[in-house]
Amino acid sequence: MQESCASGMDHDLRDLAELERLILQQISESSTIDELEGVRIRYLGRKGEISALLKHIGNLAPEQRPVFGAAVNALRDKVTQMIAARKAELDREALEQSLARDTIDVSLPGEVFELGGLHPLTKALREITSILSSMGFTVYESREAETDDMNFVKLNVPKGHPARDMQETFYLTGTTLLRTHTSPGQIRGMLALEGKLPVRFIVPGRVYRRDQTDASHHPVFFQVEGLAIDADVTFKQLRGVISALMNRFFGQDVKIRLRPSYFPFTEPSCEVDISCVFCKGEGCSVCGNSGYLEVAGAGMVHPQVLINGGYDPEEVSGFAFGFGLDRLAMLKYGIDDIRLLYGNDKRFLSQFRGL
Amino acid sequence: MRVPWKWLNEYVNLPWDPQEAAHRLTMAGVCVEELIYDELGVTSVVSARIMEVEPHPTRPGQKVGILDTGAEKLQIVSGAPGFEKGNITLVAPPGACLPGGLRIEAREVDGVLSEGMVVCSNELLTGQAPRPLEDIILLPAGTSPGVPASDLFELDDWVMDLDLTVNYSHCLGILGVAMEAAALARRPLKLPEVLARGQWAGPHGSRDPEPNAPGNPEFRLDLPEPEACPRYVGKLVEDVRFAYSPVNMERRLMLAGQRPLNLVVDVTNYVMLETGQPLHAFDADQIADNTIIVRSSKPGETLVTLDGIERELPENTILITDPSGPIGIAGIMGGKHTEVTKNTRRVLIESAYFDPLTVRLASQKLKLRTEAALRFEKGLDPTAQTAVAERAAALIGSLAGGMPVPGYTEANYLDITPKRILLRMQTVERLLGTRISAETCREILERVNFQVDQDVFHAQAPSIAVTVPPRRVDIHGEVDLVEEVARHSGYDSFGTGDLSGAVPGGITDPKLLCVEKIRDLLVSHGGLECITNSLISREDLARLGWDSDDPRGNPVPLQHPLSSEESVLRTGIIPGLVKVASSNIRSGIQGMFIWEVGRVFFPADRSSDGGLPLETTQIGLVSYGVLKPKTWLGGPEEAGFYHMKGVIHSLLNLLGISDVKYLPKAGMPFHPGRSAKIAAHMSTVGEIGDLHPACLKELDIPVPVTACWLSLDGLLSMVKPKGFVPPSRLMPVERDLAVIVPEEVPGGEVVEAIRQTGRHLDSVALFDVWRKPPVPPGHKSLAFRLVYQPTDKTLTEEDLAEDRERIMERLRKDCNAVLRS
Ligand SMILES: [Zn+2]
Repeated sequence: MQESCASGMDHDLRDLAELERLILQQISESSTIDELEGVRIRYLGRKGEISALLKHIGNLAPEQRPVFGAAVNALRDKVTQMIAARKAELDREALEQSLARDTIDVSLPGEVFELGGLHPLTKALREITSILSSMGFTVYESREAETDDMNFVKLNVPKGHPARDMQETFYLTGTTLLRTHTSPGQIRGMLALEGKLPVRFIVPGRVYRRDQTDASHHPVFFQVEGLAIDADVTFKQLRGVISALMNRFFGQDVKIRLRPSYFPFTEPSCEVDISCVFCKGEGCSVCGNSGYLEVAGAGMVHPQVLINGGYDPEEVSGFAFGFGLDRLAMLKYGIDDIRLLYGNDKRFLSQFRGL
Repeated sequence: MRVPWKWLNEYVNLPWDPQEAAHRLTMAGVCVEELIYDELGVTSVVSARIMEVEPHPTRPGQKVGILDTGAEKLQIVSGAPGFEKGNITLVAPPGACLPGGLRIEAREVDGVLSEGMVVCSNELLTGQAPRPLEDIILLPAGTSPGVPASDLFELDDWVMDLDLTVNYSHCLGILGVAMEAAALARRPLKLPEVLARGQWAGPHGSRDPEPNAPGNPEFRLDLPEPEACPRYVGKLVEDVRFAYSPVNMERRLMLAGQRPLNLVVDVTNYVMLETGQPLHAFDADQIADNTIIVRSSKPGETLVTLDGIERELPENTILITDPSGPIGIAGIMGGKHTEVTKNTRRVLIESAYFDPLTVRLASQKLKLRTEAALRFEKGLDPTAQTAVAERAAALIGSLAGGMPVPGYTEANYLDITPKRILLRMQTVERLLGTRISAETCREILERVNFQVDQDVFHAQAPSIAVTVPPRRVDIHGEVDLVEEVARHSGYDSFGTGDLSGAVPGGITDPKLLCVEKIRDLLVSHGGLECITNSLISREDLARLGWDSDDPRGNPVPLQHPLSSEESVLRTGIIPGLVKVASSNIRSGIQGMFIWEVGRVFFPADRSSDGGLPLETTQIGLVSYGVLKPKTWLGGPEEAGFYHMKGVIHSLLNLLGISDVKYLPKAGMPFHPGRSAKIAAHMSTVGEIGDLHPACLKELDIPVPVTACWLSLDGLLSMVKPKGFVPPSRLMPVERDLAVIVPEEVPGGEVVEAIRQTGRHLDSVALFDVWRKPPVPPGHKSLAFRLVYQPTDKTLTEEDLAEDRERIMERLRKDCNAVLRS
């Protein structure tokens, strides 16, 4: 009985080895997660063969139980482990397959987003505004249709003054006109501030002159006027502000020179020349071989203009400057014909879409 | 003004070459626009002595002479009166060149060889044949033979072309420029003797150089309108012989841009160019009754001016007249009848002061912008008239043997007291930002003939009293003296400073900030910004169907437009943008989405200030064609109503304006069935739509175009600062709802009804419109995605079903809707 029992257990142990070989073969032969799961259920499921063997332990003689029990448990652990390993392997294969399956042709073009763009004059104005903002200038917008009084008389240009020849004017009526410069914005801006200090603003906008259109003239163009008034504003500071503006707009290597000139509403007055951005001052056709380009008019605000704006010239001083936005933009972007700016050809405008 | 270099250097010996001088003058405010080398192209013309002269053997009046040039002997044939033995003249031997590329060759005159030619001034300076009564050039007796013409005369020279600002009337004469240059170079100024004697340009003005001469009784003078002509000086010169001017004077006039005529006229021009004071010479014997009256024109008066043109004289033109009628237009041009001719024996030189504005207006009306007028209208030295007249008379006397009659015919209503201005050093420093000493200021001002009184120097508040020469009509106050000091110091000598005090800058006006954000939004939506002309034509408006019934068809006109194309102010942005679209279509551009922000103008209403037009800011948008090309991913994206509406939706979202309605049917230029008025908060802020086919036809545009305008002022007035609602912790829930409504029910109303009725509804999006079976004919199915956002408690299925029923009840009632199952 004992012997038979012993030999019976030996037999069971041999069967276990055979079973293990069989199971491991089935695991390795499983090619899908489902097949592997079938193997798991077949042997490790509640009704599986290994589970049955574990239950069978109770039927063995007490002395046989530890040996056989240990062998079955070992088998269970090994199978569990092998299934997990095979599962990881199959998961990896499946992922690799799905990656291969989902691969796209990255060389094909992406979705098209049509970029809009700002007009080059707006781009230039934004840059100028940002530079002058950093020096404390705010933006004031003034009227385009003006009175003769604001456009001329308040700026020291009475009727019949030869300076009126400098600017051919579009009149609307005997007393109203289209502003010939942004300078009336000085007066309106000052009056709006009601004597407050400091005064520091720019007036950008359209101006109008009776000029026949050609490569450098257009009856409508843009100016930017600047005005700074305080207790101690000087010509020296005017130079500082203009230099900073030009150097940041055109580049650090641009040289500035101030040339005496005449504007009825400033005294002293000057033209602002910059060294030619095309030939670096060597002389070329753009600068008429002078090496310099005239870019702005400026000066110390005339005492009468301060009075007209509600300020006392004995108490405060100020400077003003004005430049053609078109000219600055044309110089910066190398545009040689002003008509391009107002022609709005898509092929022209599209080139300014970037930074 | 053109300033010949050698002429300038007659008055001041400049230590610079012309380039340096031009630069220095420019940087001191006397702007030299261009420096030109003016060459005549005369070569190999030399002085020669006429050794012997014999009559031509066969040709009467012609003579055959032998000339010695020092290097060779030449046989030359000439009929000139000065071609006499012993005279020294200029000869152009074979191979010599005269102006105009004229090359001299030996030739035969009736069988006699002539080896070159002897030349007159006209031949030397212009290459043209002698003028009537013109003799060959006769050189001073001591002249050696063989001296090149260019060493004897100022043939080739640099010319500075000045572009003077209107305040620089003191530089309208070469002497004025010389004074500036002399001051810059710190060299003395050499005045012609007569002018020096008259203290021309002195701090207290010029004086009569002949103060003790008796008044001239021969001419009567009447100045009935002293405001227009306050000062008139007539200087008589008798025994005048006709002559041409000396070669150098003719050449200088030519270099300065004038045509030499005869000595008397040339001298008046020469002295004007020298001093800036215009002069006129009358043939005194042609002036009726020896009487001159300077008065305003009478209606219908005419005058044949020097240029031979009969001119009607506009009202308020000041005229020089004699008892028989006008003989000159004051300050502008003389009359033909009294012109100086070869027969003139007595000359009356007019040196006057006319009111600048009167001359200016007359010259503009007559469209006669003469050198004289351009000077008078800028304002001249009101004291220089006698000195300058005397200078001219002396020149005529010395060059043409005339006899200046002592004294003047003169009337003077001007009482010139030179201005005295206190210049405070504190003002100089306050304006320039640099300290300049009173001593330096004095030096600078004295060099340009200001008088500086030293007795007001004070150590505490130094200042100087400055007497302004009357010719400096540009100097009115202290700041003008600051400029005078500054420009002679050099504008670039004061250094660079920063504005003191940190002040926050940038765009502070919320409206302007909004505009920039709108610009960015439109760019991000693919819009290209345009800037179009704000001057357009009435036709541009008419083509959009804006006729006189429409405010937009009643634009503000310009009084004197350059062309009808640019004759009125725009009443909308769309006309300009439509033209841009049209021109791009013609260039073959397949599609565009463009926009512009700018002002539009309407006639003033009674309340507006100063009669100024109403000015408002508008956004215009226009699109046509393919905006995004078809790609392998889809597309193409076409311009059209719904694209535009989407952009507007974004824009209004940006501004936080959500109470917006699209009311069907906008007026012209829109298609009545494909357009809407955009109403925000119950007021119209714009219009959107496809253009009316009739407009497209008028505009000759072959493709559909969509347009929109928005009143920026209107929109921006609705922008309010907005708070925020903290996000709910509860998840949003989505439900779809499809309803069938009759075709005539606008989809927008259904959306609005759902939005108003649903509770906890966050958004309603239309995702499908279906008009085919099973939807019955005349109906459409609209499918919406409703997103609920519960706030305090999770919405149950019962809550959602209840809301759905509530919505359907409303839709059944208001929109004739049935639920699509
Ligand atoms: Zn250059």
